[in-house]
Amino acid sequence: MRRLAIVVALLVFGSAGFAQTGRGAITGTIVTDGGDAVGSATIQATEQSTGKVFTAVTSKTGRYRLADLPAGTYEISVPQLGLRTSRYAKPNVVVEAAKTLSLDIALMPNNFGIIGDDAGFLQILNKYADIKGPAPRMPDGHPDFSGVWLANVDPNPEPASMLPWAVAEWTRRRDANFAGMPTATCLPTDPTLTLPVFYKIIQTRSLLVHLFEQDPHYRQAFLDGRGHPKDPDPTWMGHSIARWEKDTLVIDTVGLNDKSWLLQATWLPHTEMLHIVERYHRPDLAHLNIDVTMEDPGAFTKPVERHVTWQLAPGEELMEAICSENNKFQENAGIQ
Amino acid sequence: MTGNRMRNTLLILALAASAHLLAARPAVAHHSFAAEFDITKPMTLTGKVTKLEWTNPHAYVYVDVQDPQTGAVTNWAVEMGSPNGLTRLGWTRNVLKPGDAVTIEGSLGRNKPNLANARSVVMTATGQKLGAASSEAAR
Repeated sequence: MRRLAIVVALLVFGSAGFAQTGRGAITGTIVTDGGDAVGSATIQATEQSTGKVFTAVTSKTGRYRLADLPAGTYEISVPQLGLRTSRYAKPNVVVEAAKTLSLDIALMPNNFGIIGDDAGFLQILNKYADIKGPAPRMPDGHPDFSGVWLANVDPNPEPASMLPWAVAEWTRRRDANFAGMPTATCLPTDPTLTLPVFYKIIQTRSLLVHLFEQDPHYRQAFLDGRGHPKDPDPTWMGHSIARWEKDTLVIDTVGLNDKSWLLQATWLPHTEMLHIVERYHRPDLAHLNIDVTMEDPGAFTKPVERHVTWQLAPGEELMEAICSENNKFQENAGIQ
Repeated sequence: MTGNRMRNTLLILALAASAHLLAARPAVAHHSFAAEFDITKPMTLTGKVTKLEWTNPHAYVYVDVQDPQTGAVTNWAVEMGSPNGLTRLGWTRNVLKPGDAVTIEGSLGRNKPNLANARSVVMTATGQKLGAASSEAAR
């Protein structure tokens, strides 16, 4: 009985304390370095004492309002958007009760802000931000992931923990300005499809195909119940098989070579022991959530994870892009 | 744990920690522009288009730039994104024609003279910024 009284007292005291803290808001506009409005972008307020995250999405004119924030100290952040803008973060933003703080944000360019080097990410995101509806299904009842998707990077990427050789190799790559990146000489992109560009998924009952504009332009996952081959020749995209776990498609990939650089913007080294598990889930018509786990006991001290959300872009189409047509990278980088 | 193993463990932890910090650098796309261009050397050039190479993996616009003092003309090569990316911003392969006057902002090449990249391309005559706006282009 005494214990119950204490619990009740704590509840009363706790809620009274909570009411006293009050709530405030942050409002403002997000623009690019060029002054253009950034619409349909998610802004995060992370309460520094609790780690609790509050989010708001900008309007098409770049306005946002983070309302109903408990008074406290926050880190305000905007994730990297495609290849166009870098991640923004401002810690120690104090929100006071019953007050609205004004915070206008200009995002820094990513990747030099080179015109046309991303997939028109900000425009496309804005264009398809209002798509609503349930996820479509195949005749057999499983979700259908078919369509053209705009990918993005993980908004809160966890750094990788690597073995010393991999750290040394990564450091060497960075010190050379990542000039040795396979895609720079038109070799294939990494098997996790982390470049924030367009991917087209074609799904049948027994097969899921990704098409994309980078070499090697396709990847296929077998959904017909077969297993991995024994001792497969290592390849850039590896061997992928898929199975359903309720409404989630689990793609399992092995047989990868050690030549690819893993993860857009990170470029991790790895070995042929790399094993990738991707979990695809389509919560609604417009979004595809993909959780990626990369295990490699030869390179990582623990699995590397990425959690990304792709946006449906139904009016877009893939275009031919043959990288070796006119690649001047080595000439421009002074590599003989 | 022996002293040696302890030291190795600490070394691995230190290396892992340093990799954490270093991984927070700005992202690099499919090609390393930092190997080609110098972000600390921004430039603006104004001149006349001589050619547009509408090719993968990058389109190039070539521009004759006249030195205001000597009158000497130099042909610059300016790298942009891919035709796919530019198309999605509203460009076409005919958007720039030889003789068009343009003003280009970007960064200088690291290793070659008269090489730059473009962050923006403006038609000098009209002030029209080619395929730049985020919210505008979506309309």
